[in-house]
Amino acid sequence: MARNFLGHESLAPFVEILAGRGELHGPVLTDDGVMTFGPVRAAAELQLGYRRTLIPPKKFLLHPCEPILTYAPDTGYRLPDSPVPEIILFGLHPCDLQGIAYLDRVFLGDIPDPLYRARRSALTLVGLSCEPDEFCFCGDLAEGESSACDLFMRQVAGGFELEGMTPQGTALLEMVAPYLTEGDSPPPPSRTCALADTIRQAAARGERFGESPLWGEFAGRCLSCGACSLCCPTCYCFDIRENGSLDGESATRLREWDNCLFRAHGEVAGGGNFRKSRVERFHYRYQHKYLGFGPTRGVVSCVGCGRCREVCPVGIDLLELFKEGDDDAQP
Amino acid sequence: MKKPTIAIAGLTACSGCQLTLLNCEDELSEITQRFLVDYFPLGLTERCMTGPIDVAFVEGAVSTPDDLETVLKLRSYSRLLVAFGTCALWGGVAAMKNHEARRELAATVYGAAADGMKTFNPQPLHRFVKVDFAITGCPPEKGELLVTLAALLRGTLPEFPSYPVCAQCRGRENLCLLIERGELCLGPLIQAGCHARCPAVGIVCEGCRGPVAEANVAAEVRLLLDKGFSREEIVSRMQRFYPEWDYDQRD
Repeated sequence: MARNFLGHESLAPFVEILAGRGELHGPVLTDDGVMTFGPVRAAAELQLGYRRTLIPPKKFLLHPCEPILTYAPDTGYRLPDSPVPEIILFGLHPCDLQGIAYLDRVFLGDIPDPLYRARRSALTLVGLSCEPDEFCFCGDLAEGESSACDLFMRQVAGGFELEGMTPQGTALLEMVAPYLTEGDSPPPPSRTCALADTIRQAAARGERFGESPLWGEFAGRCLSCGACSLCCPTCYCFDIRENGSLDGESATRLREWDNCLFRAHGEVAGGGNFRKSRVERFHYRYQHKYLGFGPTRGVVSCVGCGRCREVCPVGIDLLELFKEGDDDAQP
Repeated sequence: MKKPTIAIAGLTACSGCQLTLLNCEDELSEITQRFLVDYFPLGLTERCMTGPIDVAFVEGAVSTPDDLETVLKLRSYSRLLVAFGTCALWGGVAAMKNHEARRELAATVYGAAADGMKTFNPQPLHRFVKVDFAITGCPPEKGELLVTLAALLRGTLPEFPSYPVCAQCRGRENLCLLIERGELCLGPLIQAGCHARCPAVGIVCEGCRGPVAEANVAAEVRLLLDKGFSREEIVSRMQRFYPEWDYDQRD
């Protein structure tokens, strides 16, 4: 039997070891009571039983608004060169790990994004098992991705079972070895989710639900507030803005999170818009999320975290599309 | 490069927008080096408009014959006219009672002195003159003013966000006052750019930046009614900075 059990009483020294390797971030509560991935100063701050954070961990890789290029007459064009800190992200659920794995496909594909690549290589991911609630529906959609981290912690009676997934994770295990004992927990029960299966099958047959009356209902209610996409672990659309400086010579190019339900998302020079109506924007959102575009065609990028369903002020839930006429598929 | 000539003027308003310019303390010397200021009654001793003006920034609503004369003169002297702030763009606070009789409103405030007053309902600039660009806000954001000035140096105008306050509010990981606290927050209807300054400190969005493009007004009103607010409360809050909402508008 492997020595891979970390008792709750040893969490504090483990967290200290992790904090010694870089900036440690994990699920904590803000003063207003919002669950966030924030700096962890002590193990006691960690919300290990958390359900989900408001903003997913993508914020560590793609900042909401950031310079990606600057120009000045004396230095010419320059990529951002501020130091990228080593960050240990602690306590990511399998859905969020899968979210990062998807972003890796997009930003580290044929033409890697330099800023993303630098931050991603400075990121150590520590996964944590979770219990589903009424909003999430990952089932197998995310379960297989518990390996998409450096170290995975399965919550068991009295503590955690640790498993190194990468050389980095194995190295962490060695550092924490003095605190580990032999684990004897039974293997985790396999988790199934009828809705996850329904989604996979619909995506596989390229289902577009073209005739559904739900599109019109969604569009009639949607406030275009952007919450569904800002809070989505795999929404990565961005807008580019260029702002000159007052000296009349230097300038900054900014990259900012965008949202397919914003009017400007499909807007092009000259005032044209590829998606003039909100209904068209919803079709676009669905097709990108569940059918994929370009190199990610056929990849379902919904990881089942349930954030969009929870944060929508008017209760719009794209999953209703999958449930139409299927009374068995419950979240 | 020829220095652009600018004017900064105020109509019926509180001068807060013009103060936004004066509050750019770190940038003021750069601004005065890059621009010629032709007319700025609030900030210059010399008070005559000579023209021609490249860009006029105009604060406030039009509500008196004097206002009208000023804005027409600025328009005819200027290549570009910028509605500067919520009153100039939307009517703003001054227009919140436009649905009530002007004469009675004046009498309530000024008593007998109201008799000879020449005032009419405060209106945004675009009712009277062509407006080329707008910087919204009560007061406008310093950053948006500076970005505009910098763009003008290059002969262009900036692109501001056309999404609602909620987007920036979520991005800051604020507690959602509308959903989590059930408060009368106008965030979904209002133009972003303020980085959700008020919700970030637990104060609902009162709508000082005016409507966002394609606001789903009907859905927000429905949501607020469902939360238990009365139509009067909702309308009264919404009219504080913009009196002309189409309550049935969906896009």
